[in-house]
Amino acid sequence: MLCQNCGNAEATTHIKRIINGEATEVHLCYNCAEHLGYANMFSGFGFNISNMLQNFFPEFTRALPSLDTSERCPTCGTSFEEVVRTGMMGCADCYSVFYEKLKPSLSRIHGRATHVGKSGAYQIESSASPKLEDTVIRLKTELDEAVKVQNFELAAKLRDEIKALEGGAQNV
Amino acid sequence: MSKWYQLQGAENDVVISTKVSIARNVKGYNFTVKLNSEEKYEIADKIDEILDKKLPGKFVSTPMNEVGRDLQISLAECNLVSPEFISFAEGRTLVTTEDESLSIMVCEEDHLKIQSLLPGLELEKAYELSNTLDTLLDEDLEFAFDKKLGYLTQCPTNIGTAMRASVTLQLPALSMRGQIPRLASMVSKLGLVLTGAYGEADNPVGSLFQLSNQVTLGISEEAAIENLKSISLSIVDQERITRNELMNSLKFQDILWRSIGTLKNARVISFGEFMEALAIAKVGISNGEIKVPCERMNELIFTMQPATLNVRFGQSLDRQVRDVKRAEAIRKIFE
Repeated sequence: MLCQNCGNAEATTHIKRIINGEATEVHLCYNCAEHLGYANMFSGFGFNISNMLQNFFPEFTRALPSLDTSERCPTCGTSFEEVVRTGMMGCADCYSVFYEKLKPSLSRIHGRATHVGKSGAYQIESSASPKLEDTVIRLKTELDEAVKVQNFELAAKLRDEIKALEGGAQNV
Repeated sequence: MSKWYQLQGAENDVVISTKVSIARNVKGYNFTVKLNSEEKYEIADKIDEILDKKLPGKFVSTPMNEVGRDLQISLAECNLVSPEFISFAEGRTLVTTEDESLSIMVCEEDHLKIQSLLPGLELEKAYELSNTLDTLLDEDLEFAFDKKLGYLTQCPTNIGTAMRASVTLQLPALSMRGQIPRLASMVSKLGLVLTGAYGEADNPVGSLFQLSNQVTLGISEEAAIENLKSISLSIVDQERITRNELMNSLKFQDILWRSIGTLKNARVISFGEFMEALAIAKVGISNGEIKVPCERMNELIFTMQPATLNVRFGQSLDRQVRDVKRAEAIRKIFE
């Protein structure tokens, strides 16, 4: 069997990880295994092989050619195609911009869970307002898209929603 | 000053070490993948500034590109940084206490990976260390957070608590009895993952395994720690019972005494051969056959690794020379 990372050398390291009951197998050659940190005695938890991550996004990797690659996070410029390919988000805002598209993958990784752990000093004071900003950012991106494809009916609806949210925020 | 791995920890006949890592990202900066070196060092400077102000003299900050290759690898051997962290040194900084029990990898996968390392099974204590440092930094740095998704991380698998707790277990008896696959499938149903620490997943060098939590969303830090602790303790019990059973077999006793002979007498020994002998000798330790304290043996798992030996002797030793130096150091402990 050839190495899944470089595709050149014979795979000598076989890694099987079971995450939430789902098995993932990776086959790597010695050099790639070492390079990616698998040959080390105390590897950390951040295993970030894009192949492995793509296992979490199967619905997108299969449908890649038809993905609309024009949608980008306004903060960092990352496209959703980039997120799927690398398994990495570009910035914190990517989570709200791509939230709907990420949802199926997030629930495959984490179930339908929501956060119940620690929240920092800052978050307790102002958890509501950043959430609102995130929604506005997402709606604005959708608005841009709607205008681009000349779906003016949707654009008008989105514009009204944004107006209402921004107006609401100012009144608070 | 002594390092964390030279101290005594709970259940250290089976548990080598405990590590609790917390990933955090500073709001207002893109994630690491989208940062240039300048921005990465800017984040490190912010952390230094806060720590200098709040805990003066406690932490040392080292940019990884100012450190020699041997020391870089030694840091990874001692579990302080990930292999990924030293694979590309530019833009990365290690902030650590002198005994290395509390540290921050700056701009590895996430902006901060706050990590505590303790000998033996010390999950609550390790979490408290990491958590306290997180809270202290949080007062000045604003971390990326979402009410529903928790702490936001570059990789979506870590969101929520963004905390990974892991214990490194030495399980020679359960390995010999072929119990590892059964154990791995059992813990996976409980939201944990058991994986070989070095070499093959099912049969790692020195029977060293890492048990860690997999779930970060929908579970509190305390619950995850408690869960990992109770399962670790039950594995420790099973390993001890199996070690006792093995001691009843003459065939195993022969293997044990040969391994002890290797540790006491070898003149040239590779790290792999040492780890195999040590794992078997551990079975004898639990049963009082060997009088060397566990912490002295566990310490060798870190100090006998190749790059760490190079650092100790202040030069990149030839492999053969290193194997001789290693044998000498091991004999001193077992004499």
